[in-house]
Amino acid sequence: MKKFLLLLCAAALGTSVANAQVPVGKGQLSGSLESNNIYYGPDKTLEELGLSQRPELPFGSHDFLKLDYNLDRFSAGIQFDGYLPALAGYDIATYQQRETKLTGFFTKYIQWEDTNYGVRVGDIFDQFGNGLVFRTYEDRALGFNNSLAGARVHYNFNNYVSIKALAGLPRLYDVRSKSVFYGADLSLSISDMAGWTGGIIALEGSYVGRYQNGAMEIIDMDGNPLGTDYLNMVSGRLNFEVAGFSLRGEYAAKLDNDIHNANFGAGKGNVIHVDLGYNYKRFSASATFRRFEGMQTSIEAMGMGLGGGNVINYIPQLTRQYTYMLANLNPYRGCSAMTANEIGGQFDVYYSLRNPKARGKYWNFHANFSMFNSIDHMSFGEKRLGRNAWIDGNFDVERQWNKKLKTAFLYSYQRWDEELNHWDAPEAHYCDSHIFVADVTYKFNKKHSLRVEAQYLLDDDNSYEGDWVAALVEYNFAPMFSFYVSDMWNCEKSEKNLNWQTDEYNLLHYYQVGASFTHSRYRVQLSYGRNRAGYVCSGGVCRYQPAYTGVNLSLTASF
Amino acid sequence: MKKMLFLMLALFVGISASAQTLPDVKLENLEGKVVSTKDLADGTPMIISFWSTTCKPCIMELNAINESLYEWTEEVDMKVVAISVDDARTVSRARAMTSGQGWDDFVCLFDKNQDFKRAMNVSLTPHTFIVDGDGTIVYSHSGYTPGSEQELFEKIKSLK
Repeated sequence: MKKFLLLLCAAALGTSVANAQVPVGKGQLSGSLESNNIYYGPDKTLEELGLSQRPELPFGSHDFLKLDYNLDRFSAGIQFDGYLPALAGYDIATYQQRETKLTGFFTKYIQWEDTNYGVRVGDIFDQFGNGLVFRTYEDRALGFNNSLAGARVHYNFNNYVSIKALAGLPRLYDVRSKSVFYGADLSLSISDMAGWTGGIIALEGSYVGRYQNGAMEIIDMDGNPLGTDYLNMVSGRLNFEVAGFSLRGEYAAKLDNDIHNANFGAGKGNVIHVDLGYNYKRFSASATFRRFEGMQTSIEAMGMGLGGGNVINYIPQLTRQYTYMLANLNPYRGCSAMTANEIGGQFDVYYSLRNPKARGKYWNFHANFSMFNSIDHMSFGEKRLGRNAWIDGNFDVERQWNKKLKTAFLYSYQRWDEELNHWDAPEAHYCDSHIFVADVTYKFNKKHSLRVEAQYLLDDDNSYEGDWVAALVEYNFAPMFSFYVSDMWNCEKSEKNLNWQTDEYNLLHYYQVGASFTHSRYRVQLSYGRNRAGYVCSGGVCRYQPAYTGVNLSLTASF
Repeated sequence: MKKMLFLMLALFVGISASAQTLPDVKLENLEGKVVSTKDLADGTPMIISFWSTTCKPCIMELNAINESLYEWTEEVDMKVVAISVDDARTVSRARAMTSGQGWDDFVCLFDKNQDFKRAMNVSLTPHTFIVDGDGTIVYSHSGYTPGSEQELFEKIKSLK
């Protein structure tokens, strides 16, 4: 392990010293390295409260090394993902298949990309439409990668027609799946065919199938199979854009019975997703509506309980993802864990008030609202009517006063049903939070700047953990250094933070101190602090992060 | 597997490059039309900046560039290309945001499944590149600290 780390450091150092071009033959080589490491320190407070257990091996490291070679229209590449070992709270730590703790995975590809057609063999990242029936992608913050090992061809005809077909085996953590996926996607540009240049009208459709031998063997109490060896999904889409107005709609359906990850039930599925958008000068608005039932599709046909990495399509949470600590404290993580269904929507409005001649002064306004309900859910073996799962209403105002001073203010109201994902809770328990954030940046000169955040979370009627207060101070020395200190304090007594054994309230501080150094394409970030247990979300997908106190070191480099 | 890894690391240690040409990836523009990244190289030097709606420093950097852009373009011929790596979940929000932040002078492109991000070997956003008029990448920088946009301008000026 130490050797490996040394090597990583040597690699990062080596690349920062040299700065020559790498023509290999007539082509070029490029690459990147990312290494995220955590040392889990002892924290008696967390351990006594049962909030965290220090891992036996108090260290984890996720490392990604990627190399690509390009020669004109030809390219090839390889990537190594190392979990040396996996960090606490990542699904790969729980579901990795190989017995060794230090596990890794290679992905590779070769590709030919011509003007009108392309062929790729190896690991494929692709999505059809919104990804409602198929999406393979990588999200390192979640430890997610479901790349499809197989082949893909695509062909475009005069911008009128574009067609794509692929087949392969997805990746499931550190192994390949037992299932095979195959699919095709067709897109017709009606506006191009008709020679209409005022806007866009496109009709699109896709098909995706999953084959897994033995999926039929899982049966219900009456002996009927819950799943099928051959699962078929289809999707149809319409894109329409004219004069700043856009409408994008997609309907997708699962045509065969499939085992849902929720409720251990089975059935067909469907989803409708509609996006509306409008832009006029510096005003813009967008709205999304989505309804789905039983549409999440696992990679393993029988793979219930294999965690967040076991999914081939993309049906994420559509709520706003915040960049402030307290606004992100209790994110919406979907109601489908127990219901396999959801209905809801969200909208955004943006407006920028500025004098085009004086760019150093402006106002930016933004408001957002989202609401999601479950359609129905099982509780004590009974099907019950759905209920409200989440509401978020928020607005933020940003003001650039002059070249030196910038301020921002955010207010967010969040309401969620804490009991929704509990199997045996027939009644809703709603938690209400009001979050206030003030954010001030002051630039002393071209290089030195200071940023301060002050945040308060008001827990209405003490419905959850009580109130929180947080602050952050960041000092930047451009372009290389940045330092920060922050603290988040659960400052109000509530039932949630009462320790029944000692009859005392745990009003904990979650502090952080950190620094980053950036030079050209190399970046090192080091931090120390206590992290709260909770959901960490990226791209609308969340994972549970256990509490810990420790040191984080992350390195990135590219060439 | 170990041998392979050592080989990759050795390659990484032994060599390193700065000059690379823009890879050819198809992206969507603000109007929903598919454009090729090869066509960005039209003789004008550019800043290419990867951002997303959930990346605060990215938005700060693009706003800072936007504030200075008039002054910069008085001195040099240049353009700014903002690549959103938002996926299907937030891409409509990203489209709305480009107008709502007043980024009218930027070329805004949308990389919904991060194909361009992967091809450019971007690990973390913000990640910003300086590309000359022929499409050769001459400089890149990851992360943003207020004021570091000045460095980008110095680099683009030095291309002349």
